[in-house]
Amino acid sequence: MMSQSIIDAALILVVLLNLAMLATSRLARCVRIFAMQSLLLAALPLLLELQHTRALGLHPVAIAFGAAALKVIVIPWVLLRVLRTGEIHREVEPMIGFTASMLLGSLIVIACFAFGHRLVLPVKPQSDLLLSVSMATVLNGLLILVSRVKAITQVVGFLIVENGVFIFGLLLLEQTPVLVELGILLDLFVAVFIMGIVVYHIRREFDHMDTNLLDALKES
Amino acid sequence: MHVLFIMVPVAFGLLCLALPWPRWQLASLVVGSLVHLGVTIRSWMTETSIEADAFFGIDPLGHLFLSLNSLLFAATCVYFVGYHRKALISQRIFLACVLGLLASLSALCMSRHLGVMWVSLEAASLAATPLIYFRLSARALEATWKFLLMNSVGIALALLGIFCIAVATQPVKPAIFLTTGDLIAQAHRLDPTWLRAGFLLALVGFGTKMGLAPLHSWKPDAYGEAPPPVAALLSGGMTLGAFLGILRVYQVCGAAGLAQWAGTWLVVFGLLSVATAAVFVVGNNDYRRIFAYTSVEHMGVMVIGVGLGLGGSYASMLHAMHNTLNKGVLFFMAGFFWRLYESNRVRDVRGALHHHPVAGVLFLGGLCATCGLPPFGMFFSELGILFAAAEKSQWWVVALFTLTLCIVFVGVMTAMLPMVFGPPPENVRSTPFGEKRWRTVTMLGSAAGLLVLALALGAYQPAFVRNALTQAAATLTLPIDSAAIVVARAAEARP
Amino acid sequence: MSILRAVLAVPEAIVLLALPPLLLSVIAKTKAKFSGRVGPPWLQPYFDLYKLIQKTPVYSRTTTWVFRTGPIVNLAALLTAATLIPVLSSDSLLGFSGDIILVAYLFALGRMFTVLAAMDTGSSFEGMGASREVTFGTMSEPALFLSFVVLAVATKSLQLSQMMGSGLAAEWQVAAPALVLVVGALLIVLLAETCRVPVDDPATHLELTMIHEVMALDHSGPEFAVITYAAALKFVLLGSILLHTAIPHPPSLYFLGPMLRMVELAALACLVGIIESMTARLRLNRVPMLLAGATVLSSIAVVLVLTGRMA
Repeated sequence: MMSQSIIDAALILVVLLNLAMLATSRLARCVRIFAMQSLLLAALPLLLELQHTRALGLHPVAIAFGAAALKVIVIPWVLLRVLRTGEIHREVEPMIGFTASMLLGSLIVIACFAFGHRLVLPVKPQSDLLLSVSMATVLNGLLILVSRVKAITQVVGFLIVENGVFIFGLLLLEQTPVLVELGILLDLFVAVFIMGIVVYHIRREFDHMDTNLLDALKES
Repeated sequence: MHVLFIMVPVAFGLLCLALPWPRWQLASLVVGSLVHLGVTIRSWMTETSIEADAFFGIDPLGHLFLSLNSLLFAATCVYFVGYHRKALISQRIFLACVLGLLASLSALCMSRHLGVMWVSLEAASLAATPLIYFRLSARALEATWKFLLMNSVGIALALLGIFCIAVATQPVKPAIFLTTGDLIAQAHRLDPTWLRAGFLLALVGFGTKMGLAPLHSWKPDAYGEAPPPVAALLSGGMTLGAFLGILRVYQVCGAAGLAQWAGTWLVVFGLLSVATAAVFVVGNNDYRRIFAYTSVEHMGVMVIGVGLGLGGSYASMLHAMHNTLNKGVLFFMAGFFWRLYESNRVRDVRGALHHHPVAGVLFLGGLCATCGLPPFGMFFSELGILFAAAEKSQWWVVALFTLTLCIVFVGVMTAMLPMVFGPPPENVRSTPFGEKRWRTVTMLGSAAGLLVLALALGAYQPAFVRNALTQAAATLTLPIDSAAIVVARAAEARP
Repeated sequence: MSILRAVLAVPEAIVLLALPPLLLSVIAKTKAKFSGRVGPPWLQPYFDLYKLIQKTPVYSRTTTWVFRTGPIVNLAALLTAATLIPVLSSDSLLGFSGDIILVAYLFALGRMFTVLAAMDTGSSFEGMGASREVTFGTMSEPALFLSFVVLAVATKSLQLSQMMGSGLAAEWQVAAPALVLVVGALLIVLLAETCRVPVDDPATHLELTMIHEVMALDHSGPEFAVITYAAALKFVLLGSILLHTAIPHPPSLYFLGPMLRMVELAALACLVGIIESMTARLRLNRVPMLLAGATVLSSIAVVLVLTGRMA
């Protein structure tokens, strides 16, 4: 029962971090919120396994360490390096505004909680919140991706979508082979690495990171 | 045998990275792709069988797509040697990425496990990203960014879909792997709601990679700004890989009795794609973007074919084969015109037939092939799809399909025919590379080879090609109908 | 209500009325400690109130009876709310089912009359303060109401004293995350309603940065004393709601209960002092985001508690 509350508390904290990211305008803070969220998510496989079998197998430990090393240390380091080399530190006010996008994100969370409660999983999951939180995280990540203008925030939005998919994957802890999970993590790392390089090139080429101004290609 | 398909490109890619001389790098690129083609041809002569829970295996569908990829890569690598002048980004990275793309697409065609399939598709996408940025210009950068972001999000949604399918397997005890063999065997015991959710998410996710509307917006930018050989690889090769992703999930749905429902969604997305292509092709001024929209259209046609059942699936396989060949021809000729006329715009390219007769003929042939004129194969595949739709009495599909294809035909031809006929403008160069005939010969030769193949396989397909297509189509429409599923489920539920 | 309870109510009410200024000095002492000062004496607020009561009030010629009754109605509303909110013991002095709505409206009544009194002066500064007060009040009301909804659903009762009694202690085992979110939302509402940093700096002397203080600009003498005392009483009331939600006492603590509650109130005042010392005042256009955040916290708590019930 105690560990159930810890798991629930971690998942709700993940949701609150999503909303905090929607409210913040500082780019470095976005990356750090993502790192915090990934730390919580890296701890979840261990907590779930502990609640399930009271012992830690190799599989959850490998996933937890892989996810932690990659998403808490390496990827934020890459993104912060890209930010440090530029002079851009703040996000531009999105079209719907920071407060409104946070409220929209919270509406999404409420809708996902209400809807996820009705979805029936074939096997009862270890926490009732896993499905709702994963849906909410994916949708909030898409909201960040769509409403923000700076390229780095769009990358962070994509990473939050991946976090949401990771939470959903926690429902299937025993089924996916370790190698596939590690492959997914490796792909994520290379993707972010390449994104970092592209953002660096964008900043160097255009002197800004404003994807609103990347509009040279259109139908003529 | 399986390992060779992946190891050959990887080995030659590492060789590219290691060799310091540009010519040797190009040589290893060409040799690598030709060796891969040789291995592919060899594999057609030997029989292989697959166990149900294997991670890798070559089934008829994968074998067909693998061979098409291999052929296209070989032709493109030969073309690239002729097209390539000076390197802006590091040439060895570029060539290594091309071979990496080949390796991951081969792994994709051979993978039987959904997770491995996802990993290889993502690897292919990442290998393709530096290729688009080849010209280091602002426009190429913008195209690369859109490509990268949209594809990454699409792939994340596809992963979510695969996880949903994994959730759908939870009622089955003992736990099964996510391999296609296992899934199809146990399909009647999968949870239908989660299977549907997984199919939709996979369709959206892999559809983004494939370029189905409404998720196609990266395609015109990427194919317009990438160097033409890269565009050929992406439109002819990578789209096949994404299509394979959708098809594997469709196989599982079909085995579970959801073929009708899944087919409806496929037809809807397909018609939407063809309609979008029709809207944007008319009046477009950039011929490479027009080719990108024809690629969207062809993806739509392929998906409609699969959604319409057995007859449509055969037509879809035929269409896939010809799509690869035609896109090769079109983009090779686009590259040749770029070298001659130095412009992407339709207005600036005129009189290709007078100026360079061979190029003009090849381009005209490619155009006719793409637009579905007989005796090229696309005519027969589109006709087959019309027949399949008519057989199922889906008259709306027939009407919309015909209408949109006509609009696309008109749009492409009105834009492109003036490029071929008429007097050439004054500022056109006489040959793309001055006195170097071998480059022209290489470029036109590879295009000609593909066009001849397209022509040969158009009206008449030899027996082994026909066999291959039929077997591939058969894996998509397993003869299980809903009644059998219901009976099987009821039998399981009884204590 | 039993005889014992009625007898004990009298000293409890006396302590309740005497307590608020002491909490103000706790906050002041905490802030002084953080700044390395000694701070004003512990009984300074009482001396200030005594001094103010002896002064003669000065009324501007543009004001009417509204100006004079504003502070009095505010204090009356808060005193009435004090009988309904359990402060020192788990039982309020009076209480009936549905009294949370009365409490919320009493707060609103107090706020309305303060605002009317401010606008009655005809001064543009006070009009500006009035509009800010009403705007921020609009944003903090949903957070307060939704927190009440969570407590009502969790304890299945609409009476404030029952919502915060032993029923809540059992709820903490089950719905802990939701209640933690409610506590967070109530803390932000407390900071907003009692004009503390980061919403509003109580020590500012620049009218353009004031929200609550500017409405008391024209009041003098006894009325200013009433306003000061009412603000402190509001802190005690909202703080009690927060504390009773966060730390429900089991009914077994008979006489230790009120003592513990006073200690907890002092600790809360200390916490508010720490928050005031460590954070800076938010820019005025970021305050809606903070209040919206409080609303978001309590709405997520509502969803959690409702879906938990439906499971």
